[in-house]
Amino acid sequence: MAIASNRGKITAEEIWAVAPGERRQVGVIHIVITALLIGIGFVVGAFGSISFPLGFGVNFFWTGIAVQQVGSIWFGIWGVIAGTIFPFFSNAIAGTPFYVSAAYIPANLFQAFLPAFAFRYFKGDIRLNRSRDFVILIGAMVISSAVGALWSVLVVLRSFGLLTTNSVPLFLWGWFGGNVLAGLVFNIILLKALSGVVIRSTAFVKRWLA
Amino acid sequence: MNKTLLGYVPERSPIYAIHPFVKLFFLLVASLFPLFISAPEWNFGLIIFVLLLMLYSRIDMRIMRIYVPVAISMASIIFLAYVVLGGFHPEFAEIGSLLGIRVYWERIRDAIVVYFRILPMIVMMVFFLNTSRERDVIVAMRTLRIPFVVTYVFAMALRSAGMVIEDFGIVRQAEQARGFDTHGKSLPYRLRKYVMYMIPLFALSLRRAEEFSNALIARGFAFTGPASKTKRADYILTHYRFTRLDAVLTALIGLAFAALLVLRYGFGWFTLDRSVFLPWLENLLLHR
Repeated sequence: MAIASNRGKITAEEIWAVAPGERRQVGVIHIVITALLIGIGFVVGAFGSISFPLGFGVNFFWTGIAVQQVGSIWFGIWGVIAGTIFPFFSNAIAGTPFYVSAAYIPANLFQAFLPAFAFRYFKGDIRLNRSRDFVILIGAMVISSAVGALWSVLVVLRSFGLLTTNSVPLFLWGWFGGNVLAGLVFNIILLKALSGVVIRSTAFVKRWLA
Repeated sequence: MNKTLLGYVPERSPIYAIHPFVKLFFLLVASLFPLFISAPEWNFGLIIFVLLLMLYSRIDMRIMRIYVPVAISMASIIFLAYVVLGGFHPEFAEIGSLLGIRVYWERIRDAIVVYFRILPMIVMMVFFLNTSRERDVIVAMRTLRIPFVVTYVFAMALRSAGMVIEDFGIVRQAEQARGFDTHGKSLPYRLRKYVMYMIPLFALSLRRAEEFSNALIARGFAFTGPASKTKRADYILTHYRFTRLDAVLTALIGLAFAALLVLRYGFGWFTLDRSVFLPWLENLLLHR
């Protein structure tokens, strides 16, 4: 638990700081939270994949990005693992072929990892109390979605012969825009609404593992 | 009836005579087949084969209605990607013009090849999801000696997906009881309000995480430390025997894949040049 320094208020630095004498270790709670995040992402991601499909797992508005990125910000490597795995299942339910879904794994891994890294490296406040925190979040969302779009469209879809060169821009913007737009709607609200509760829970991960 | 990942299968279905590992192996290996087959008639034959397997397994074929929109949207996307956005290619054979867009035979051909590669993969996934229960997937993973913690996370994830769906229904009813109604509202409004479901779902899952971990610790489960090194009894595996039939089926699937590779790369089978359907279609479109 972070130690409050100013009448019970926790600063951004204190959120990530391990207090003297504080012992943090991997526990059953982290395994459980990984499983539950996969379950939530499975349902939420499938909703986005079925409701707003562009094709082959690319969506105009992918609601699963919230679980992928907010989960990794809150729960470190456990959220990254969940954020990498659950799109595989939500895409499968929505009809994306098995090996296409598997090939998306690096893109989903990076999309989950970068926001978690950005907040920990820059000591951002996950409650989004300052404009700096918004810059960290939006910057991480944009960069990770751009890289994810490049991998998924240029590497995966082209490798499987599912697209022509001329149709690449449509799918690139579809992946990128679908993630960023949904992230802007859901990530901000989720972080502002629940981060205060998560920080005080035993599941919250300050470093990467615990 | 037994509930599977996607639907229901009668208790007397012959699919239950097959070990879950064989079903998973079939999904993993047979899904590769279309990647090595260019001639669409062969991939269409693969689709028919899997549909016959579904009939043999006594799956309610009405479940396929869910995937008709998926197949249609997939066809539309491929048509969009290959024909509408196919570009200007004077070296290709032009069939005609569609709203000012040049339509080329080569793009139509490639679109058909891609579409009939994707469809069998989707049908195989649907077959697997319809014939496998959660327990079957766990058994298949344990048969492969995947670590217990990985298998346990997967099992819990599948279970929690069902709970999230139930929670979603409860939250939705609670909001409707309080007068929340998106009927007649615009799509952006509905999307913004969708977050009102996600916050309670996350909050419920956080609370559930605490409860689950306390329950696991109280029962002596541990994933780290000395307690995790205790060899666990795979009780569920005792309910499944890997029989001679399973071994034969596994070998057949493997041999079929090997035969496919030999025929494809050794004898040039399944290529566009050896297709019967595509030359007929080309003749129909170009020489009408």
